[in-house]
Amino acid sequence: MSLPRLIFVTGKGGTGKSTVAAALALALARHHPTTLADLDRRKSALRLLASRDGHNDGKPYSLADGLEGIALSPHHELQAFIERMVPVKAISRRMLQSRTFGYVTAALPGLEAFLMLDRLRIMAGEAALKDRYLVVDGPASGSALELLSVASGVKGIAPSGTLNRLADNVHSFLIDATRFGVAITVSAEEMALREALETAATLRDRLGIQWIVAILNATSKALFDTAEIAALSPLKAHAQLARRRNAIAEYTVHAREQLKAAGLAVVELPTLFLPELGRSAANQLADKIDKALAHR
Amino acid sequence: MRPPLDLANHRLIICLGPGGVGKTTMSAALALYGAIEGRSVDVMTVDPAPRLLDALGLDASSSEPQRVPLDGIVSGHRKRPRMRALKLDPKGTFDALVERYAPSEQARATILQNRIYRNLSDALSGVGDYMAMEKLLELHLAPGADLIVLDTPPASEAIDFLDAPRRLLDLLNSRAITLLGRSGGSLLRGLKMVDFAARTVLSAFDRATGLNLLGDVQGFVESFAGMYGGFAERAQKAGALLRSPETIIVIVTTAEAARIAQAREFDASLEKAGLKVDAIVVNRMMPAMPDPSEIARAKISSALKRKLARNLKDFQALKDRETHALNELRGAVASRTRVLGAPDLGHEPRSLKDLAEIARSIGDLTPVH
Repeated sequence: MSLPRLIFVTGKGGTGKSTVAAALALALARHHPTTLADLDRRKSALRLLASRDGHNDGKPYSLADGLEGIALSPHHELQAFIERMVPVKAISRRMLQSRTFGYVTAALPGLEAFLMLDRLRIMAGEAALKDRYLVVDGPASGSALELLSVASGVKGIAPSGTLNRLADNVHSFLIDATRFGVAITVSAEEMALREALETAATLRDRLGIQWIVAILNATSKALFDTAEIAALSPLKAHAQLARRRNAIAEYTVHAREQLKAAGLAVVELPTLFLPELGRSAANQLADKIDKALAHR
Repeated sequence: MRPPLDLANHRLIICLGPGGVGKTTMSAALALYGAIEGRSVDVMTVDPAPRLLDALGLDASSSEPQRVPLDGIVSGHRKRPRMRALKLDPKGTFDALVERYAPSEQARATILQNRIYRNLSDALSGVGDYMAMEKLLELHLAPGADLIVLDTPPASEAIDFLDAPRRLLDLLNSRAITLLGRSGGSLLRGLKMVDFAARTVLSAFDRATGLNLLGDVQGFVESFAGMYGGFAERAQKAGALLRSPETIIVIVTTAEAARIAQAREFDASLEKAGLKVDAIVVNRMMPAMPDPSEIARAKISSALKRKLARNLKDFQALKDRETHALNELRGAVASRTRVLGAPDLGHEPRSLKDLAEIARSIGDLTPVH
């Protein structure tokens, strides 16, 4: 199975979404030039890999060999769009600063999100021409679904004109497995699993997205068997920690089964028992992702 | 030792925080904490997980306050504690508000069908925040509860929530926006140059994009004209309640570095807005690590000892990560905001007893100087 040009990473808060996005970008960059695009205001994925901070929105910069990063923001996209529509700089600038215009766009939140998606579509097209890949650290699953649903909403509110045409283009981009795919991060935990299953179902059934992968993160293998757990009972606190380890392992098995039963391809990543989650941690995860992708 | 949270002198606890930190669970636990102390508590939750609904004994389909059975959890109070929980329904609350203030049947229908209104009702644009506030006011003004715990929608910026009433009023009150949609004539003289330019550009924008923003904005503002007073009064009351000395603001987070950073930003931005954060609760803290020397002394096989040592080493690394993040947080905020910790039970809270365990274990992590 080949990879889509753009992989959009989402997941419930706390499932390691940004770390996984960074690791996935590192893994792809070992074989192809790759761009890591960060949609998050806090830019956690970029910060994990960048040695320094403070790059402007919308300008790519180098993160590693073959890997560049770019910070994107919906507001910046709206600005760019208005500048295209209203080519006289003096007017477009004043308009953007006008409170009135701010109210109008605030009342139509879909507009910024939609232009963001259109930007991703264009970036994926450019990537295909240059044989690059794109990894997007998207928002958490709830907001991601709102973002990805916005194309159909725009068709409803703009029955004609530029936006309507763009909405058609965005829709066919999202359902094209060679251009667009979603990776859903999920941890071995009940709420995260439930949200991942719901997100996957919505992406597939309602939005028609074809390429979806679940990344089961922070997994563990069982370290103790039943007899050992029983033998540990006098060592209260140690026994508790042993049960904690085994509980992660048990839920890993359960989550894997449930995700597979839902028809999802699953990539598993181990819990990194490290005192710090930095670039080297991302590299360790990249090794695992690289292996998992090579096997498919 | 000070109790972790002084509830006796407060009537409202607002829980803010990023997504995925267990904010709703923590709100329920804090409400139970209040009930354990003998208060009569209402907790308002946003999008609770099915397990939590079960734990609270709630019916998922209802957005009315429902009584939480406290048998076996709370005992020995002269005053009988009471706890009610409800699920927030932003769209329903907004519609109810429109129904209450709409001057006529026709005005109501126009509003409910307006595109801007429908978009506003989306969770995205902060109307959910405003509606949480509205429901809060309703509970606050009704007799019954002497303590309300308010869970809030996940936000990327703390101020989004607390600022919601003012933003909605600003929109409804904008003279420029009222005039924006009108066509020609003397009325337009009231517009500032920049708004005039915006209007010109917007209509060009409408033609090119296929949107009809101008018409919608005009329709929206006009249909709200008769309702402004009602909204303004409610928003003002809500604003006053948030800043009342009887209100406690709590930021909920977990000990992951990224969430801690977000919690610090929340704390700083609220401070800047003149709101005092009373406590940051670090949720899902790992248990204290056991004594490694116990392993050597235990009467178990050496293979099992090796496994235990490895398991301890692994979890110790995670505990070190947590401690590091926590120290950073305390260093940054300790002078003005208390840092509390709540334990990770190792599983989702499944019952009221689980919630009570969390509530009773909330501890003060603020260093003693």
